[in-house]
Amino acid sequence: MRPSLPIAACVACMSLFLFAPAAQAHHSFAAEFDSTKQVTLKGKITKVEWTNPHIYFYMDVLGADGKSSNWAIEAGAPNVLYRQGWRPDSLKIGDQVTVIGSRARNGMDLANAISVVLADGRCVLAGTSGPGGTATECAPNTGAPNAQGATAPRN
Amino acid sequence: MIAVVAALAASPPAYAQWEGYPTPGIPRLPDGKPNLSAPLPRTPDGKPDLSGIWQSTRGAFNIAIGLKPGETVPFNAKGKAIFDERRDTNSKDDPSARCLPTGIPVRNQLNTPMKIIQIPGLTVFLYESRTTYRQILTDGRPLPKVDWPAWAGFSIGRWEGDTFVVETAGFNGKAWLDQAGHPSTSDLRLTERFTRRDFGHMDMEITIDDPNVYSRPWTIYGQFVLKADTELLEFICEENERDSQFMVGK
Repeated sequence: MRPSLPIAACVACMSLFLFAPAAQAHHSFAAEFDSTKQVTLKGKITKVEWTNPHIYFYMDVLGADGKSSNWAIEAGAPNVLYRQGWRPDSLKIGDQVTVIGSRARNGMDLANAISVVLADGRCVLAGTSGPGGTATECAPNTGAPNAQGATAPRN
Repeated sequence: MIAVVAALAASPPAYAQWEGYPTPGIPRLPDGKPNLSAPLPRTPDGKPDLSGIWQSTRGAFNIAIGLKPGETVPFNAKGKAIFDERRDTNSKDDPSARCLPTGIPVRNQLNTPMKIIQIPGLTVFLYESRTTYRQILTDGRPLPKVDWPAWAGFSIGRWEGDTFVVETAGFNGKAWLDQAGHPSTSDLRLTERFTRRDFGHMDMEITIDDPNVYSRPWTIYGQFVLKADTELLEFICEENERDSQFMVGK
């Protein structure tokens, strides 16, 4: 069953949310994540936590050394993501996804996601409060957001 | 919005958590959308009715974005030292990162909505963020004597023409005014001014007066848009807070 994310309608509906303020974390992104250490992770989802203040999902990522490690991925607040079209079951265990994000400063296998390419190739923004959070869309299959690198005005 | 509702209807229920449920009794355009330019509603005593769900037009990680162009935050030496330390450590010690309350200025400028309920003698702000509330007493009482200060202080409100003026004091000084780290102490006094322009738009000014950390009062400005056909969602910050343990700073 495809994720219940109404992306086909949502390309149009994304524009309804363009006025919305850039996603704001409950915390300072920069104290925990390093936006200069961007990672692109491909793997299978093993767990999903649809919770405040951030949703988390976990994925098994095959490293260059052929070893698999389980990464924790932080995305935005579910309240904000829900209004952007995410649903609690948008990500399912077993889904093959690609995540572009910023790695944790402490070097753990933990990242703050900018975009997520879903199992069917569609891309959704992950509600980051870090750089990349002002993007309004991301490219299918690659996950590339359309505006990143610039510091959000609030900084 | 119709396309989104139609897409959601394909996977039942159509109005999950009341998202999309039509708000009763609001002015609408011929196409059914809320008429945000309609005249503002008034209570029987002729005052503007601020009741409704409001969304700040921007989230303010740093409330200085609300200053008038060319103005800067008037830190005194102590205030600057505190702010600089918080910025140098990327706000790693922000109490709100641990789900403790945010300061009022940033709380009014989040990317989650708030609901104002205005009844005789009392105006209530329900903040979706962290599922918190503030009470603003409008029954004519003065600010209270305080021997047990609070994170959000104690608020009274009155009308100056069509502007709702809120005075707040009795803060415990623990909250940061924003996530960037603008400081406040227990001597903080806030004055908020809310002016609803029409059905769908409201302006806000906040004057921050804390002589321990700022050399003079300073004012920031913000705006809200009314959100109809929606409802506040729950937001329990404590249910899965994982960041504070990893906020190493730099």
